[in-house]
Amino acid sequence: MLRLAFPLVSHLPPRKPPPIRQRPPPARRYAASAATTSSTPSSPPPSHPPLPPSSAYVHLPFCRKRCHYCDFPIVALGSSSGTTPSRGEAADDPRIVDYVRLLLREVAATRPVSEDGVPLETVFFGGGTPSLVPPRLVAAVLDALRGRFGLSACPEVSIEMDPGTFDAARLRELVGVGVNRVSLGVQAFQEDLLRACGRAHGVKEVHEAVGIVTACEGLQNWSMDLISSLPNQTEEMWEESLRCTVDARPTHISVYDLQIEQGTKFGQMYTPGVFPLPSDTESANFYKIASKRLSEAGYNHYEISSYCKSGYECKHNLTYWQNRPFYAFGLGSASYINGVRYSRPRRMKEYAEWVQELEDGTWSHKSRSSDMKDMALDVVMLSLRTAWGLDLQSFSKSFGKSLALSLCNTFKPFVESGLVIAMDMERQALPHIDFELDLQNEGDFGSRVAFIRLSDPDGFLLSNELISLAFGIISP
Amino acid sequence: MAGAAVLRRSARGIARHIAAAPSLSRNALQQPERLLSSQASPEHGARGAVSGSELALYPPERVRNFSIIAHVDHGKSTLADRLLELTGTIQKGHGQPQYLDKLQVERERGITVKAQTATMFYRNTTASQDSDAPRYLLNLIDTPGHVDFSYEVSRSLAACQGALLVVDAAQGVQAQTIANFYLAFESNLSIIPVINKIDQPTADPDNVKDQLKRLFDIDPSEALLTSAKTGKGLEHVLPAVIERIPSPPGKCDSPVRMLLLDSYYDEYKGVICHVAVVDGALRKGDKIASAATGRAYEVLDVGIMHPELTPTGVLYTGQVGYVISGMRSTKEARIGDTLHQAKSIVEPLPGFKPAKHMVFSGLYPADGSDFEALSHAIEKLTCNDASVSVTKESSNALGMGFRCGFLGLLHMDVFHQRLEQEYGAQVISTIPTVPYIFEYGDGSKVQVENPAALASNPGKRITACWEPTVIATIIIPSEYVGPVIMLCSERRGEQLEYTFIDAQRAMLKYRLPLKEIIVDFYNELKGITSGYATFDYEDSEYEQSDLVKMDILLNGQPVDAMATIVHNQKAQRVGRELVEKLKKFIERQMFEITIQAAIGSKVIARETLSAMRKNVLAKCYGGDITRKKKLLEKQKEGKKRMKRVGSVDIPQEAFHELLKVSNSK
Ligand SMILES: Nc1nc2c(ncn2[C@@H]2O[C@H](COP(=O)(O)OP(=O)(O)O)[C@@H](O)[C@H]2O)c(=O)[nH]1
Ligand SMILES: [Mg+2]
Repeated sequence: MLRLAFPLVSHLPPRKPPPIRQRPPPARRYAASAATTSSTPSSPPPSHPPLPPSSAYVHLPFCRKRCHYCDFPIVALGSSSGTTPSRGEAADDPRIVDYVRLLLREVAATRPVSEDGVPLETVFFGGGTPSLVPPRLVAAVLDALRGRFGLSACPEVSIEMDPGTFDAARLRELVGVGVNRVSLGVQAFQEDLLRACGRAHGVKEVHEAVGIVTACEGLQNWSMDLISSLPNQTEEMWEESLRCTVDARPTHISVYDLQIEQGTKFGQMYTPGVFPLPSDTESANFYKIASKRLSEAGYNHYEISSYCKSGYECKHNLTYWQNRPFYAFGLGSASYINGVRYSRPRRMKEYAEWVQELEDGTWSHKSRSSDMKDMALDVVMLSLRTAWGLDLQSFSKSFGKSLALSLCNTFKPFVESGLVIAMDMERQALPHIDFELDLQNEGDFGSRVAFIRLSDPDGFLLSNELISLAFGIISP
Repeated sequence: MAGAAVLRRSARGIARHIAAAPSLSRNALQQPERLLSSQASPEHGARGAVSGSELALYPPERVRNFSIIAHVDHGKSTLADRLLELTGTIQKGHGQPQYLDKLQVERERGITVKAQTATMFYRNTTASQDSDAPRYLLNLIDTPGHVDFSYEVSRSLAACQGALLVVDAAQGVQAQTIANFYLAFESNLSIIPVINKIDQPTADPDNVKDQLKRLFDIDPSEALLTSAKTGKGLEHVLPAVIERIPSPPGKCDSPVRMLLLDSYYDEYKGVICHVAVVDGALRKGDKIASAATGRAYEVLDVGIMHPELTPTGVLYTGQVGYVISGMRSTKEARIGDTLHQAKSIVEPLPGFKPAKHMVFSGLYPADGSDFEALSHAIEKLTCNDASVSVTKESSNALGMGFRCGFLGLLHMDVFHQRLEQEYGAQVISTIPTVPYIFEYGDGSKVQVENPAALASNPGKRITACWEPTVIATIIIPSEYVGPVIMLCSERRGEQLEYTFIDAQRAMLKYRLPLKEIIVDFYNELKGITSGYATFDYEDSEYEQSDLVKMDILLNGQPVDAMATIVHNQKAQRVGRELVEKLKKFIERQMFEITIQAAIGSKVIARETLSAMRKNVLAKCYGGDITRKKKLLEKQKEGKKRMKRVGSVDIPQEAFHELLKVSNSK
């Protein structure tokens, strides 16, 4: 039973709200060039980002059961777990305890990239359902991270929570140990849809959870997750979910478009585009409705699937989209350190063995570090997901002006048709005529156009097409 | 077994490698002794060891050259097997496979591609029990059974003096029976009718005799009744060959002169020519020359096909065998050519014609980067099939490729099949076309083998056009006459003959534009007649026709590889069909695509494909971008495989599908 009322006492002082910025920081730190201001446009940047990571992802894989669309590395605990009272330490599931032990070993065995201690600015507890993990254990992980890498003065510490898995006390405890951002996995506001997805909660739990989160002292920054294009989802249902979301006034909203993955229950049951899944046209319509309704409600559509109130971008996710390095810990998690992307084993046994190797010093990166081409692909793929878009000047510096020019040429017809927006230094949209003038010779290139981005919603909706076109240029 | 593999011979070696195991035949070629010496022949000391002096025992009077002609499945291969067994040429009862007509293309189209040629020794012991009965050398010169190879057939028949006309006792005369009969008849061959499969419960040999009388004026008493299955009546076949077929004419004391019947390329021995020695004798070490090319060669090896290559060192007047003379490519060994003693002036044998290409199509690498590989594969393949013409061409949609000319449709299919099966080449082929002739206002004429090459709006006015036609023979149970007449008139056919060959069966003869039968005609004919129709055709002359060039445009850009030449009255229908097909196979893109069929500047069919709405992965989880990146890479690769015209990407399937659009509907 979840209780809303709680003594408003906390053993830790409430955290400050996160610093508010007007817009996301420009994507200036990809590859390497920006850090070494001395690098000239012609000199190739070093093969890995010299910046030490200032973000860490921590995977907490436990769920009560697997949702029908989910193909993440998770551990299903069964229905008994998760309603554990926040102070019921005695009842801690040994699987969770064992896992956290492993995590702590991984943290301890991971060498910080920089010796002079660049502290972590963001920590993200993702899952799984991290809210199933007792706050005490979350605190232990945070402590370990702080000890190993340092935490900045006011880091963004996010945790994913599912309705029905926490009460006010538990949340308060989490906030008490340093969590200051919650991402609430609501997904839908319709009982039928939640059931059809195999979610472990109903609409009642959603409302209770929203109540707990909004009432929680010291927690201003929270996000709500929704999924569109669910089986049998109607436009009315979608409108309703968006309305309820706006009414709950989260600072951030993530809207995911259902992907049917192989090996999931949905993968066996449904074919994309075929009833009861919406057609591509209907599904595009859901996307457009979200964009419209959430913009009307004052949210910025700052990334393909992310909306926020001004200044409430998820700083942790910006790390990804800006192609900056990050640590990662835990089952199946992916890190990006020293220019190398590494995905940990997705099976517990193998992960445990891997941690052992890491401790023994017998593990070494087998994956080659990304080359220039890979890095350019990453930059384009990630930055074009954002409203900020691709910073051409910085891209030119890292990968050469002619590649930037080729990219722009490829996008020319789409600037004209409105799927792509070209912008000047002041981020004012350029008429396509001006854009084309800029492309006429390499010398002029960049005199007007400074950024390109995909338009909202039409360009975002075709991001795979547009980005794969760019891929064809970068890596023919 | 290996013997059988060697027997799998085709006209010009076209289909040799499709169903045969080349390695098997190669072994057999390398080690004929091992395979042959194991069994004593009833007629010879040891099979395989045939000496030149033995061949000298067979002057022309003791030689008979004949072929077996039949409609498909009437028992030609089986009868040939039996005759080879009867003469001890191949081993009996060792599970000799039915090795002719096993090609997919043959089955699909109801035609025969391959042929076999073999020398047999035979003593007629049925006429007299006398062991002094003379021995004969019999050459079974087989022919491919398809109109594409009618020239090769005519050359093979030119080396024969007689033919066994095999007819199924139950099915009676069919389309190819008629076509084959006339080919043999025109070559002045003695024809021995063989009514086969008399063991079948539905056999009606008397009805077949009536048909033969009515259609070919063959005296019913001449027909032999056989079952190649049970062996019944087979003992009469070879005696009839000896009695009824004349021996080859030819002057034994003239310089050597021979007809080149067939050739194929062997990896180890080079070009192997099948020849019929018309005059004189051919010996190892002789110098010979080609009448067609003037090139001279030395005879390195000469022998008979018994049935494997069996060196004899010599071939005498009237005999049939093989010659290896250091030719490098079958292009030097033109079928129908005369080979003769070098440095002597001889009259070439009549009838030599260069290959006539009736069907053309563009062949392009399915993956643009494979041009070199395709080029190499085509070069290798034409080494064995010199009858394909190949010229480089390029297309705005498909890049660099080749325009290939074929003897006919089947020939084209076999060529494609071999390219893919033997060389692993992935090809896109353009809609097959026929050689049209266009005349301009100034009186000049051009032959158009590639529709794209014909200007859509010619500066010069076209005043007349001609297209090649064929004469088709169709035999059907009479209840299907109506639908078949409909089909033929849809295909712009002109009825020439409509007769009944017996109480149930009708024969139709039509003149049809060749273009109308090269796509899908046979399938459709089979479809509307529950599979009962049989069909064959022969080339006929060019006829004047109202032809137009039809362009396919994507967003206003013509796709040259999709241009076709169609009859004016059918343009609308064909245009609609092409455009609809393309709409199905072109994928949505980020902009609207208009697909048009146009004649000159006049659009006759149009479809629009609306722009794609959505292609987004709105999930990017936990920084694990590698999966998403892979997906985008895959998408990029998919785009790369597409063919692009203007800004429109065309999937390769679209080209394949267009081939299936009947140009005649
Ligand atoms: N019942 C019967 N079947 C036969 C006879 N001769 C051939 N066949 C069968 O008819 C089919 C076609 O024979 P085949 O020799 O391949 O015909 P081809 O196409 O003319 O060469 C095969 O299944 C043979 O076994 C025969 O005399 N009687
Ligand atoms: Mg056969």
